[in-house]
Amino acid sequence: MTLKSVLTGAISVAAIAISVPASAETQLNVISGGSQNMVEYVTDYLGPLFEEKYPGVKVRVTGTGPGDAGSQKILEKLEAQAASGKEQWDIDVIVAAQKKTGQMKEMGLLAEYRDNITTGKMVTRSTAENALGVYVGGYVMPMFHSQTAIAYNPALVPNPPETYDELREWVKKYPKQFGYNGIKNGMSGVAFVTGWMYTYAGDKENLQKGPYDPKKKESWDQAYTDLKAFNKNITFTPGNAGTLDMLNRGEIVMGPVWVDMFYSWQADGRIPPNLKLKLIGPGMPGQPYYYATPAKAANKELAEKFIELATSPEVQAEGIVNRFNWYPGIDAEHVKAKLDQKIWNKLFTDVTPLELAEKGQPFPIGPYFDDIKEGYEKQVAN
Amino acid sequence: MSGHSMSVGPGRMGAIMLVAPALLMIGFLFLYPFGYSVISAFTDNGEGSWHLSNFVKAVEFYSKDILFTIAIVTIATALIGILAVAIAGYLTLGENKIAITVLKWLYRWPLFIPFIVSAQLMRTFLAKNGMMNNLLTSSGIIELLAAQSYLDWRGIVITFVWKQTPFVALLVAGAMASIDRTTIDAGRIFGASRLRILIELVVPQIATTLMVGLILSYVVMLSVLSVPLMINAQSPTMLTVDMAWRINSYGDYGVANALGIMSYLFTGVVAWFYLRQSLKDKRA
Amino acid sequence: MVQAVLSHSLSRALLRTLAIGMLAFAIFGPITNMLLWAVAEVWYFPHKLLLEYGFVFWERVFRPEGNATEALFSSVWIAVLTVVVSLAIAIPAGYALARGKMPFRYLVMLLFLLPQAFPAVAVHMNVARTFYGLDLNGSVAGVVLVHASQGLVFAVWIATAAFAAVDGELEAAARNMGAGRWRTFVDVTLPLALPGIMASAIFVFLISMDEFTGTYFVGAPEVVTLPMLLFTSSMEGNYQIASISSLILLVPSVGFMLVIERFLKADVLANVGN
Repeated sequence: MTLKSVLTGAISVAAIAISVPASAETQLNVISGGSQNMVEYVTDYLGPLFEEKYPGVKVRVTGTGPGDAGSQKILEKLEAQAASGKEQWDIDVIVAAQKKTGQMKEMGLLAEYRDNITTGKMVTRSTAENALGVYVGGYVMPMFHSQTAIAYNPALVPNPPETYDELREWVKKYPKQFGYNGIKNGMSGVAFVTGWMYTYAGDKENLQKGPYDPKKKESWDQAYTDLKAFNKNITFTPGNAGTLDMLNRGEIVMGPVWVDMFYSWQADGRIPPNLKLKLIGPGMPGQPYYYATPAKAANKELAEKFIELATSPEVQAEGIVNRFNWYPGIDAEHVKAKLDQKIWNKLFTDVTPLELAEKGQPFPIGPYFDDIKEGYEKQVAN
Repeated sequence: MSGHSMSVGPGRMGAIMLVAPALLMIGFLFLYPFGYSVISAFTDNGEGSWHLSNFVKAVEFYSKDILFTIAIVTIATALIGILAVAIAGYLTLGENKIAITVLKWLYRWPLFIPFIVSAQLMRTFLAKNGMMNNLLTSSGIIELLAAQSYLDWRGIVITFVWKQTPFVALLVAGAMASIDRTTIDAGRIFGASRLRILIELVVPQIATTLMVGLILSYVVMLSVLSVPLMINAQSPTMLTVDMAWRINSYGDYGVANALGIMSYLFTGVVAWFYLRQSLKDKRA
Repeated sequence: MVQAVLSHSLSRALLRTLAIGMLAFAIFGPITNMLLWAVAEVWYFPHKLLLEYGFVFWERVFRPEGNATEALFSSVWIAVLTVVVSLAIAIPAGYALARGKMPFRYLVMLLFLLPQAFPAVAVHMNVARTFYGLDLNGSVAGVVLVHASQGLVFAVWIATAAFAAVDGELEAAARNMGAGRWRTFVDVTLPLALPGIMASAIFVFLISMDEFTGTYFVGAPEVVTLPMLLFTSSMEGNYQIASISSLILLVPSVGFMLVIERFLKADVLANVGN
């Protein structure tokens, strides 16, 4: 192989690479900042359903990974296109977590569309208008609601703690048997810490609804000191998946998890079938995942049709509730009517609707949320 | 360049022309976008003027992690160097044909496992009730109660060493295979032990390659996110985790880029020093 | 006396076997874990071994909607192109850096290190912005260029080391015998440096096979590679899918290395006679 042959090879090969033909049919690009099962939901269920209704359209879904990190990558891709002055963007539908969707809306990266679709009126929950203090009314439709709860092994913990107070006592009795993932890798740990602050920092209302007071964080010292003491008796796990991992191997017997993730792990045989969930009081946070469409989506109308289908009562019933065991995004009354009572009740095996209504909390508004996390970094992790 | 009158290498202009395509590529595709990052480190979160507050905050919040990162990467690099020389040395100087064949077949596998998968494998392998402890307790090598989790700094070091040793060993073995064997044979004739031959005769001849391999490993380990993220993202943790955290959680590019610049400076100093040394030796 | 020698060599053999055994455990322990997860259907505590095994997850990976086959082919294709592009620009650069009168050469070499040394999380958005500006997004060419700029440091540095290790006397001798610069390079310098350069080809190939963030920012949604699929399942802890994907990735990587080695042996041997 001579240098010349390498060079000529490179040039001819590069020429082929550039001339890869574009396909003839319209491609609807969906990008999902969610977990694997959320990507598969579109790949295997929603995409084919949409293609059936709109022949000539191909749905292509890309996953960017779970949590804020995955949604941040969507935000960055949109921001890059905006900054380079592109007139048509290469993403049509996005699925993203709450806080980042709010940011995208604030940055002008999203289009208003909810009034254009018929299902727009089927959502009355406050999270459809308010994403952690950012008004997103008109820009988003919830795909499903996700909730954190404590997973435990009932064979080893017959009477799990009911509240944060009881949990504190419990870890003193059984040190290192409770585990969570801190705050830097995965939102289940962040949610656990947020629940702690709701319980011990006081004035939950203000944290969730504002108005923001930058002085407030100065009154949280005791809550952090207690959390630091609490952390001495627990096991740190490596990430959302890491918590489930350690539950699987019996290294911990309790830990905070996302309810949807918990069920999909159980379905895949990666955690024992007898594990159960407990939503402890006074409450732990959850969040919706949103459907939205970018401000300069190439296929704006198709994107709206896609979201309309995705948030229709039939799809929410069959796809979200029946197949995946997720809490529906649109109002329950529309979905419940489409389902067998038995299937509906499956959603509430471990956590009753009443508990969910009482103890399912939103995350705090953006600036408080940042204060809570930075406070943890400074006063607990150090 | 040897002391001969006729120069064999290209002159100044020729050299620049030959390097130009590579430089242009890096310049356009990386340095130009990187410029935005540098600017962001000095300007974000301020009043629009240049300031150092991002660096101050980075040190204030993450000084522990900075030290932790340097320690982890330095330990891992040292271990990788020792193991790689040992493996490559045995391949070059070993006398047992079977052992050489087995070793040659064996050592390269981790090279082909992506970082993110290595991290995931180690997370389930090194855990308290993970596969390693299961195997060790079942075979009676350790007591059940003595089993402990390695998912802390040790887990990160083990994963790095596991993944990067084959890389350096492969490079070093290649270099050792092409060195002049007469000196080795001479050493043998004079009855020097193989270890002495390795350290005193072989390693000096492949020092450049070893250094290049180690610096590249060092750099890769500094910038890999998945390993510390999946094995130990607690406090202290590595700087990449903190950078990702600043961006993903706070949208704070200023501090993230300040951390990145600091991490690059550590590498830059080390790399510059070794480059100077090793290339100078060759030219003398 | 004979006995002493015998027991000495016996204990050596024992030691050797032990050392290799330990190495095998260290290397294959984690990999066995991956092989088990690839066929695990149900596996949870306190069971030390799989409860149920089978190929259900393989079917899931290779279902037509999953795009795994397409992603695998584009991964390999992109990796091969990346190697070609990287070597094509790294060989002249490495030669000039090792042999030429390159001004500021340490600084230049450090520049190549930058894409690997600066943690990429903070730069990717700006890289994406640049690529959108150049209209390279969504194309294989764009992804190849991103991978090549990541892998270039390996190609350039290793090529530089390889050229630097070539004995200058040999080149001088060729020049003295009347060979031109180009002939000296092609017939003497390059063949001697080739083993090192080819090793760098393997690493560039592997870097391309490992990369997913740059691919996402520059290639997605048009270009999908296997590591991108792997990333979501890995971060999420879907061990079955992740293990299967990385097993699939193993095949082209090992294959590429074997090809390079075969080619290398033949080539080096062929040059011995010249």
